[in-house]
Amino acid sequence: MADVTAARGITRRRFLAGSTALAAAGWVSGSSGGWMLEPAWAADSGPIKFGIATDMTGPIAPAGIPTWQVMQLAAKKINDAGGVAGRPIKLFLVDTASDEKVAVGNVTQLIEQSRADVVMGGITSSMRAAIKNPIVNRGKTLYMYPQLYEGQECTPYLFCTGPTPAQQCAKLIPYLISNGHKRFALPGGNFLWPQLLIKYASNLIETRGGEVVLKEFYPLDQLEYSATVAKIKSEKVDCVFNMIIPPGLQAFSKQLYESGFQKNGGVVTCVFFDENSATYLPDRELQGIYSCLDYYKSVEDPVGAQLQKEFREMFPSAQYQFTAGTGATGAYRAMKFYQAAVLKTGGDLRREAVAAAMDGIEITEAPGGGAKMIAGTRHCAMNMYVAAAENKSYKILDKAEMVDPEECRTK
Amino acid sequence: MEVVIKLLFDILAFSSIMVLVVLGLAVIASMMGIFNLGHGEFVLMGAYVVFVFKQLGLPIWIGMTVAPFAVAALGAAIEVTFIRRLYEAPITAMLSTFAIGLTIREIVRVLIHGQYYAIEEPVTTPIALFGVDVSAWRAIIILLTVMLMTGCFLFLTRTSFGLQIRGALENPSLARGCGVSTSRIYAFTFAFGAALAGLAGALMVPLFSLSADLGVHFLVQAFLSVMLGGVGTFEGPILGSAVVGAMVPGFQWLREIPLFGFTIGDVVQPIVAEVLVFIVALVIVKFRPSGLLTKGRI
Repeated sequence: MADVTAARGITRRRFLAGSTALAAAGWVSGSSGGWMLEPAWAADSGPIKFGIATDMTGPIAPAGIPTWQVMQLAAKKINDAGGVAGRPIKLFLVDTASDEKVAVGNVTQLIEQSRADVVMGGITSSMRAAIKNPIVNRGKTLYMYPQLYEGQECTPYLFCTGPTPAQQCAKLIPYLISNGHKRFALPGGNFLWPQLLIKYASNLIETRGGEVVLKEFYPLDQLEYSATVAKIKSEKVDCVFNMIIPPGLQAFSKQLYESGFQKNGGVVTCVFFDENSATYLPDRELQGIYSCLDYYKSVEDPVGAQLQKEFREMFPSAQYQFTAGTGATGAYRAMKFYQAAVLKTGGDLRREAVAAAMDGIEITEAPGGGAKMIAGTRHCAMNMYVAAAENKSYKILDKAEMVDPEECRTK
Repeated sequence: MEVVIKLLFDILAFSSIMVLVVLGLAVIASMMGIFNLGHGEFVLMGAYVVFVFKQLGLPIWIGMTVAPFAVAALGAAIEVTFIRRLYEAPITAMLSTFAIGLTIREIVRVLIHGQYYAIEEPVTTPIALFGVDVSAWRAIIILLTVMLMTGCFLFLTRTSFGLQIRGALENPSLARGCGVSTSRIYAFTFAFGAALAGLAGALMVPLFSLSADLGVHFLVQAFLSVMLGGVGTFEGPILGSAVVGAMVPGFQWLREIPLFGFTIGDVVQPIVAEVLVFIVALVIVKFRPSGLLTKGRI
């Protein structure tokens, strides 16, 4: 997800607060400037060094922190069950601090000093673009990107475990059209993720017999949308496929709601909405908004339910939820894919061997259901759920099994 | 007709929000000569006070009533501890307000865990204006802005305390000679400007939701308003903010108006409309370097 917000460095306050939390959770400061979480047991051949490079501070921290917590849960579960090919997983954490400049330095340390065997991380696309070079090209290390995003990332040795535009739209748009919504408005933030997602969605809408009557991109901090809302009304739009992100999102939602759009039968869809969206939109504006993600807490899924229970036990005072919109579900899948690939190589951690083993591999236990890495694409097929917001939760309306990511086919 | 009423209402509503934000900035900049770069964070603090009341389960409107007083107290404390020492060095004062603003913003970010929080308006039922449904809360903001603007103007021009403020700021030595405590007046004026910012934040937070960067979004446009309106007068920045506030939605609306069977919006993206606000403001300032108003009543 390419959320673009003003980048900031680490303040002393944030550093101290973060350090205290990490130390309390059993992490020890590493010589490389990052943090390490030792497994409870050791193996003769040493641990598997799993690097996490995520936003622990800065504006993207609400997505980075749950991702980091879920990685701890995943590592603990694997280590408690005997590790991978007889070796425990040792986690190495560096803060990408919602700032690409800080991130590149920290990630380089993770590769050069901690010698991570694999790196998982990055939330925004700008962060992925910044850290992929130090990881994949200069660092010759495997990189796993967990967040839903705009697609078209086909760098060798870079595996994406979050949903792509095809996965978020393939079921949702036919669902909307079949429910009588034909005239679409697609407003979005003016950056790569909304642009590519809206491009994919509008093509699909037109192929399926719908009509795109508005497709516009706005500055990220635009707070006034009365002209857009008036056009939505005058053009008799019946579905707004919204890709405006905060802070513009709240202003747009309010003005759209005040115009009586929903009251007159219009529907809104926001494919990145998850359980966290209940905090930033009032109930009346949130009610009925459609979303499409790889997991919701309301999905009837014993694996997801068990993970939620363990997450709550491990982090009883967690400020952020374990949801799909944050990259946390993609992070869990990343760990499981890596585990499965290393088992297949028989413990060989060389990136060529692991990448080859990961090609086409399948995992069965992940939130929302299993997933399969599509051979030759470094993207995975996964279950997708069409849901609508209902009383701060999401009601599952439809499910598509093992949806193809439709990425990197020609490479 | 419905479109025209809606257009006028939207322009008026956004203008009012801009005026509310700029009012406090104008009082401090024009009366004291301090460019308060932390003004956005005073707006944020007003919004945060409302959020705290909401979290405590208390009615939102009580939070909105308390917010200006709480932010005034904060403003007074900042004036007494920092700003007071820097009246002779306006650049240092400006930089210190930036540092104070940054500190407040980052503390709020930690307190709200970097998230966005929705706050419902105290009044949600739409009202009919010439047969068109409009947001009641935006209508209330328009009314309150007009009342506040008038109140501030009358307070500064018609009351003896207002006269003392103007006197203390124009000629501090003479004011002190006349028995006016200038340090008390400065602290009051700064706190008054902060209170206005706090009220602006409290009133507009239901429209935009609370986030640590709430004030930053308005600060650039607020300074543009001051530059456009003219520094040194009370009315100038208010006029400037009304113009900027009208241009923001105005240019977006212009894109939708058909002209010779051709709609500008088909070829001009909204981002251009946003930039156009700055271009127009800069062109005006080019021809009127001191701003729209150089001589005001205050």
